[in-house]
This record gives sequence, C-alpha cells and structure tokens, in this order.
Amino acid sequence: MSQEAPAPAPDRRRNRRGAFPRKGFRVFGLGLQDFIRYFFGGNASFAIIVLLLICYFLAEQAFRFFPAHRQGLKIYREAGQEFVDQIKSELAAHSRLGGDLNIAYLSEVNASSQREDNLVRALQAVQTAVEDRTGHLSERLEDARETVEDLRDDLEDAAADPAKTAELQAALAQAEGRADALAPQWHGEAEAALDDPDIWRLDANPVKLTDAERVEIRDAVLRSEPGLDDVELPFFDALRKTSADKKAAAREGYAEFKTHLDALRGAARPLQSLSGDLVDIAAENRQRLDKFETAPARRRALLEGAEATMDPEERARKLKMAEEVVMEAPDYDALARPFYDQVAEHGKLAAQVRAAVVTAYEALPKPDDPAIRTPPGREKLRAAAADYAHLMETLTRVEKTLPKWRHDKPVSRTRGVLMFFAGRDWVTNSSWHDFYGLLPLLTGSFLISVLALVVAVPFSVASAIYVNQLAGRREQNLIKPAIEFIQAIPSIVLGFFGILVLGSFLREWSQGQLHVSPHGFVGSLPVIREIFTGICGFLNWVAQYVPGFPMSERLTMLNAGLLLAFMTVPTIFTLAEDALNNVPHSFTEASFALGASKLQTILRVVVPSSLSGIVAAVLLGFGRIIGETMVVLLVAGNKIQIPDFRAGLGVFAQPAHSMTGIIAQELGEVDQGSIHWRALFLVGMVLFTISLVTNFIAQRILAKYHVKA
Amino acid sequence: MDTTTTDPDAPAPRGKANPFAARSPRRRLIERGVRQMLHLATYFILLCAFFIFGDIFVKGAPVIFGKQYPGFVNTRFFTHSPETLVVFENPEGEEFRLDYQEFEAFKAANPDFVVAKEQRNSYSGGGILGPLVGTALLTLICIVVALFIGLAAAIYLNEYGSHGRFMNAIRLAILNLAGVPSIVFGLFGLGLFCLTFPLIVGEANLRAGAPAFELFHSGVYLSFQGFGISMLAGGLTLAVMILPVIITACEESLKAIPMGFREASLALGATKWQSIRTAVLPYALPGMLTASVLGITRVAGETAPIMFTAAAAHKDKLPWQEAGEGGFLGFFGQSVQAMPYHIYTVAARIPQSEYTKPMQYGSVFVFMVLVMLLASLSVYLRIHFRGKLKW
Repeated sequence: MSQEAPAPAPDRRRNRRGAFPRKGFRVFGLGLQDFIRYFFGGNASFAIIVLLLICYFLAEQAFRFFPAHRQGLKIYREAGQEFVDQIKSELAAHSRLGGDLNIAYLSEVNASSQREDNLVRALQAVQTAVEDRTGHLSERLEDARETVEDLRDDLEDAAADPAKTAELQAALAQAEGRADALAPQWHGEAEAALDDPDIWRLDANPVKLTDAERVEIRDAVLRSEPGLDDVELPFFDALRKTSADKKAAAREGYAEFKTHLDALRGAARPLQSLSGDLVDIAAENRQRLDKFETAPARRRALLEGAEATMDPEERARKLKMAEEVVMEAPDYDALARPFYDQVAEHGKLAAQVRAAVVTAYEALPKPDDPAIRTPPGREKLRAAAADYAHLMETLTRVEKTLPKWRHDKPVSRTRGVLMFFAGRDWVTNSSWHDFYGLLPLLTGSFLISVLALVVAVPFSVASAIYVNQLAGRREQNLIKPAIEFIQAIPSIVLGFFGILVLGSFLREWSQGQLHVSPHGFVGSLPVIREIFTGICGFLNWVAQYVPGFPMSERLTMLNAGLLLAFMTVPTIFTLAEDALNNVPHSFTEASFALGASKLQTILRVVVPSSLSGIVAAVLLGFGRIIGETMVVLLVAGNKIQIPDFRAGLGVFAQPAHSMTGIIAQELGEVDQGSIHWRALFLVGMVLFTISLVTNFIAQRILAKYHVKA
Repeated sequence: MDTTTTDPDAPAPRGKANPFAARSPRRRLIERGVRQMLHLATYFILLCAFFIFGDIFVKGAPVIFGKQYPGFVNTRFFTHSPETLVVFENPEGEEFRLDYQEFEAFKAANPDFVVAKEQRNSYSGGGILGPLVGTALLTLICIVVALFIGLAAAIYLNEYGSHGRFMNAIRLAILNLAGVPSIVFGLFGLGLFCLTFPLIVGEANLRAGAPAFELFHSGVYLSFQGFGISMLAGGLTLAVMILPVIITACEESLKAIPMGFREASLALGATKWQSIRTAVLPYALPGMLTASVLGITRVAGETAPIMFTAAAAHKDKLPWQEAGEGGFLGFFGQSVQAMPYHIYTVAARIPQSEYTKPMQYGSVFVFMVLVMLLASLSVYLRIHFRGKLKW
C-alpha cells in the first residue's frame, strides 16, 4: 500500500462513503459494531463471573465457620466437657472390649443348642410368612376370636341381669358363628400357603429341614390359629426345653470364662459413676456458659422489643426482664474446680481398672484356644485382642494428658482448623456438644468413588476400545447412542432403583438366598427358569467367598458404588473413545506395516498413545462421581461414621455418609447463618476445591502428554 | 523393530523367514479371547441399562395403562397433584383406597359408614400434575436464560474473540464450571439467588435482616434480599449449571459453518454483525436446537440444585391458581413441586409400604419416558440435520 502512488484525497473519501459507507452513531468513538462486540464479550465473561461468585459465596460462609468453631471449642473446654470426654473415651474402649468378649461367650454357649434354636426360629419364620400371606383373613379371625372372649367375660359379669344375658348370648352366638366360619377359610389359605415352596426359604436362617421336621412345623403352624392362646405344641415345647438344658450345661463348661468376663466388665463401675457425676457438672457448666454467651443478644432483643411495643405495661415487663438478664461473667475457675479435684481420684480408679482388666484378660481364653469352637467366637476374641490393646493405649494416654488439662488454656487457630479437617466425629443437634469433623464424610465419599472407579474403568475403557477399534460401523451406530441414553438417566431414578431393586438383590445375594420366584415372569418360562436357577446357584456359591458378605443392610457403599459406576460409564466411555479416535491413522498403519496383529496394534500402539486422554477421562469421571449427590444420599446408608477398616475389603459392605449427601440432607433444616449452616458451606467448599483440582490435573495431563500426529 | 525377538511366544525362525506367515494357533486364541472380553464388557453395560429400563417399565406401566375400557390410560394420574392416600376398610374387610379429599367427601356422603383400619400414606395418592408443571416451568426459565447467555458467549468465542489472556480465562472458567458438582451449584444458588440477589421493592416487601438502601427518599428500596425459594431462583441456578454445556455445544455448531460463508458475506459489504446474523446463525440453528434439547434432558433430571432453591414437597395449588402478588415476580417467585424432588420424597422420605409403590413406580416411569423421549429427540435431530446440512 505504502509503495503505491498516493491516490487523490477526495477520491478516497468518496470511496469510503460509496461502497462501504460508515453508518450509525458513535459514542466515545465506539460504533454500533463495537457495542455488539462488547455485548457478546460481556456474556462470554459471564462464565468467569459465575465462577468467581461461586468462590465468593462459598468462601464467605465457609471462612466465617472457623471463628465460630473455635469459640465453640473454647466453651467445650471451659465447661470441662473436654475433660469428661477423655474419661468417656476410656469407658468406651472398656465397654467395647467387654462387648466383644460377651458376644464370644454367648456364641460359644449358644452353639451347643444351635440345631434346636434354629428349628424354633424356623417355626417362627414360617409362621410369620404364613401370617403375611393370609394377613387379612387372620386379622379378621383374630378379631372375631377376641370378640368372643370379650363377650364371654361380659356374660359372666352380667349373670344377674337376664335381659342383658339374653342379648349377650345372642351376640355371642353370632360372633362364634363368624369365628367358626372364618376358621376353615383360614385353614384353607394357610395350607395353600404352606404348599408353596417359597415359604420354606427361611430368611437369613439357612436351616436344612428334614421331612419329619417339616411336618412338625406345618402341623404347629396350622394348630396355632390366630386368636387362640396357649396352643400346646409338644414337639416344640420339648425342643425349647432341650435347648435350655443344653445351654445350662454349656454354661457350666464356660463358668470360668463367665467369672473372668464379669470381673472384667464390672471393673469399670467406679469409674463409670465418677464419669456420670462429672458429666452432670459439665453439662450444667455448659448451660451456664451458653447463657452467658447469648446474654447480650437476648438483652438487646428484649430492649428492642420494649422499644417497639406500645403497651406501657408490656414495655415495663420487658424492661424488667432485660434488667434481669445475667450479664456478669461466670467464675471460670470455680466452674472448673470439681474437675481438678477429681484428677487424683481418676488416676486411682483408672489404675484399678487397668489392674482388674489385665488380670481378667490374661485368664480368659485366647482366639487360638482349642476350647473356643465357633468361628464367630474366635473372630470376636480376635477383635477383643485389638480392643484390649486399644484400651491399654487409651488408659496410658489419658493418664498422661488428664493431669495436664487446663480449662483456661486458649484454643489455638490451628486446632480449630484441625478439628474440622481431621475431626473424627460429625455430631449435630446434640445436647452435649456439636462436633464438626470432616473425616467420616471424606472417607465415605472417597471409598465410594474408589469402588465406583474400580468397577467403571475396566468396563468403560474396554467398551471404548471395542467400539472404536473392533466394532463395525453398524454396531457403532447402535452402541454409541445407547450409551448416551444411559447418560440421560436422571440420577434420582438410579437412586430409586438402588433402594428398591439393587439393594434387595445385593442383600439376598450376600446371604446366598438368590432364587427364581415361581410367581414372576421368568418363573413361568420353562427353560429360561432353569437357566436362571443355575445362575442363581452359581452366584450364591460365589457369595461365600466375597469379603464383607453376608450383609445385613440394603443400603451400603457397595450399592452406591455400583450405581455410580454405572452412571460414570458414559462419561469415561465418551472421553476415552474421543482420545482413541484422536490417535493418528499413520500410527496404526505403521504398526500394521510392521506385521503387528490388530490386537497388538491396539494394546501397544493405540492405547499407549491415547493414554493421556484415557487418564484424563478417568479423572473427569472421578470428579463426576465425587460430586454426585442423589444416588449417594438415597443409597449409601447415611451412617455418619468412619467405616471400620479392620474388615479389609469387606469395608464396602458397610453404610456410610458422604460430603454431598450431608449437604443435601441437613442444609434444609438448619438456621441460616448458624455454625452448622457454615460448616455445610465449608464442606461444599471442600467439594468445590476437589473438583477444581481434579479438573486442573486432567487438563494438564491432556495438554502435556498429548500425542501429536 | 523386529517384534519377534521381543515376543517369547512366537517361534523365532518363522518370524525371521516370513513376516506374513500365519500366527501360531495359541496367539490367535489369545487374540480372540481378548476380543471377546472387550465385546462382553460392552454388552454387559448395555444389558445393565436394559435391565434398569425393563424393571421400571414393567413395574411402572401398569400404573399408567389399564387393561380394559374405561382406563386404558390412567388419566387421573396426569390431572391431579400428589395427595395423601387414605386406605381403609369397611367392617366386612373390603379395602378402599381414596385420596384425602375424596375420602372426606365420601365420609360426608355416607355418615353411617363405619371406617375400620384407616391408614394414611402421604404423597401416595392423586397424580403428578403439580410436579410435571413445576419441572416444565423450571426447565423453561433455565433454557431461556442459558440459551441466551450461552449463545451470546459462543458467538463471542467463535466469531469475535482472538487468542489472548481474556479468551484463555473464559475457556478455563468454562472448563472448570463444567466440573463443579451440582450440589455446589445448589449452595451457590441458595446464597446468590435466594438470599442476596438485589431487588427493587417497596417498603412493605422488605425482608428483615437483608441490607437495603433507599433510593432518593422515594420509599423504594434497593434491597439485597434475593428471590427466596422460588422458581426463578431454581431456574437461574439450573441455567448457570448447564451454561458450559450450552456454550460448548453452540460453539461446536458455529465452528461447523465454513469460513467461506462469512468471507462471502463480508466481501459483499455486510458488517460483521450482519454477516453473523444472516450468514452464520441460520445455519448454526439446528445444532443449537440439538444442544438445547440435550440441555433440557440434563436439567429436567437434576435434583440437587433445586432442593434448596425452588422445590417444595407439597403444594395444594398449581402455580397459576395461587393468588400471588401478581406480576412477573408474583408468579415466578413461588416455590414449585418438581418431578425429581417428588421422586426423592416418595422414594426416600416417606415410610414405605405396598400402597406407596404405585405412586413411586408411576412417577419414575412417566419421568423416565419423558426424559428418554427428549434424549431420542436430540439424537434424531442430530441425525436429521447431519443429513440435511452439508457443505
């Protein structure tokens, strides 16, 4: 341009106005086009604004949690609750030891009469099942029989009054007639129910019944009609008696065990009573301190109320009440004195407990003792060994820390923060003290996510490889939309499915009780029923070897993890498939040219070069799982407790709570601005941070290890 | 690289002599086995999906569809809102199930009827009209807002923006926003839209405790009090949540338009905006339509963000029946029932019994069918337009 000869100036101006005229207004030198541009730019920056606002709103609430939390801890200390809780921890360790030993003892004693007890239990199970089946009829029969009883009583009372007697007799005859009419009906239904093999699958009590026993049970069920009291069942009465006799004999065999057990369990009684006294004092102190803390606010409220009211009498009353609010600080030293006084006493009692427990425990049988015969007994004794070590450790620790305890030692900022991030309890709305500890929620969330990933990654990566590398065009067009459909299933629907279907299935499976119901759709198809019965048998056999089985709960981490795995399959699949798709064709072609087979190419060329994408996909899947709310809230069992890791892999069979779940569950019921509310926002903040970090790492991996063609 | 030397399984001489020789049978067997495993993994996922759909359809369909004439379709389920279900018996043991209002009417009509064994199941009677309407309204607000902002943002990113710090920041923000858990959006919506959004209100409507500033002594206040628990708050929260999805999808469809369209338009003397409006947007529209349907599918199923911002478990009246303050805020300022929240309530917050099952499975069935229809629609639209628009 600059090298061309300069065109005449008027020409250039005309050109501008002619072919490309500049129309419109200008404000501050900005034309319409600029405004349009800035409008769009403004909308684009919305994403940044939203992200910043999220940070602001979470942080604003979350960081105001810490001062309040620290204040709470200070009161907890000043009131002496901290002191008492240390003694309580000793007692808890002691009672856990005693409990485990007791279960071991009971299991040994009950083992002697297991067969009898199981038979009695089987009778009860069948009876309940029959009652369920004949529910309506049996209730009516029972009602009728009761009416008959009542009328008979009334008749006796009204013996003197002939008119009433006649009336009652008529009613009685009618009621008896009704009962007599109902009884055969009930028998018919009950027999029909007893003929159904389903009823003999006894829940959670796998007893192999002999035919004779079946007949006995059947007979007993039919004889104990609803509404009849004191039916004599000789077979079962005899069973009960044998069971009691055998137990008595067994108890004698374990008499020594029992003596030592009782000695061990009784050893803590003096400490318990000391703790009980101190708990009362601490609770009273706490009330007093809380009152003092809220006094200014209460007084202000009363004064404001007095200001606002028109009625002079009401105002005088409120002013008087405001005057009466106790404003002066309590005497902290006096409040704490009882605790200091008891330190020596506690030391003495704790030493007693230790001595008694050591003697008793040494005398008790160990897990490998041949006298211990039942597996649960051995298992509980093993648990008791761990409990014992824990108790000794706790006693030593408390013995050291308790004399050093000071009620006026300031609570440091770090402690306030640590008690949240490393706190082992999340207890709210308690009358003692509210604890806000993240650990139970964090472990729950992470365990569920890990399980879900372990299940989801192999399936989704395998199917991504299959669809991308092995499947034909038509198969691709079928599978890809199908997996997208899975993504469209709302999480609440999956949670619903988990509660009603998967939960029951898992529990039944874990107890080895899977079966094909003869009434269902599958049960009516001849060949398919056999196939399914075979599958059920196989699964039931597998269930014996799965850690953590049998489970007594329907809602567990396992359940939630499986559902979440299913939920994240589409996410990981789509991203991994993208990554595989991005591998340049030249790579595969080069590999084939070297003589590699299809599988070799896939496993040694395609997958390694798209590994960064797959890892990023897994990370993004993790982000999705840990942020998922509804499935976890509905299905994970919502038990706020750090799962018991002693169970090994069986830890997944326990219920747990999660970070997302706790927000969803509790936020609706909390006062706005309270410490609990802020704690929940802080949990949200932790979640937000985790998701940002995961995202960031995934992006970095993608950017750094991306293979270019 | 010679693969045979690193591979102990393959017989060495064959590999050296002839690289095209057939593989050993053992190798082929392994190859086939791995292939089958991949195959099985894929179809196992589909089987699980099929089972879940099947279970819900088999148990849910009977609630909606009947077998004989009056009641091929259970219309009641779509014309009533959830109510308490009263189950009772007459002395002869016949069982009756009536919704609470019907029950009251029945008792008034038959004063000498002896009600035995009355049992109440909350939320288990009636139908799902209220939740359906609520979800539709929430989705509507959300999609209008999200599409407006998302489209504008996408136009900026694809048509105006050049590489630079601002663009990088926007892209980073979008990526990160996409990964934020939905419950965190719920907290955010509660904090911003429910509790602190600035509103201009008269003195009568001020919320106690919220910071407020009087404007020019006019009796009108700028009050940071938020919308409260309302459709508007819920819809906006959902809109913020799917913003990244919408932006990305809109951008994709803008990217698909060939550069030549814009260049031709600019060469003809159109301004930038004119060329976007006439030469780009019309052709990008189908893609955006698909994106918005996809967005609706996702938003309709979300529970966590609306739990604290919009949803109510129980409402007697539909939104337009409620005598509100009137006007825009009066209507959109109400809380609503919503399908996912309703399912949460009936699935987890009420005691379970055989009488609650029809409501549970019925709601889930209807909801699933709706969501699946939307998902199919988006798949259909994509395939349809892919065939039609080619350049």
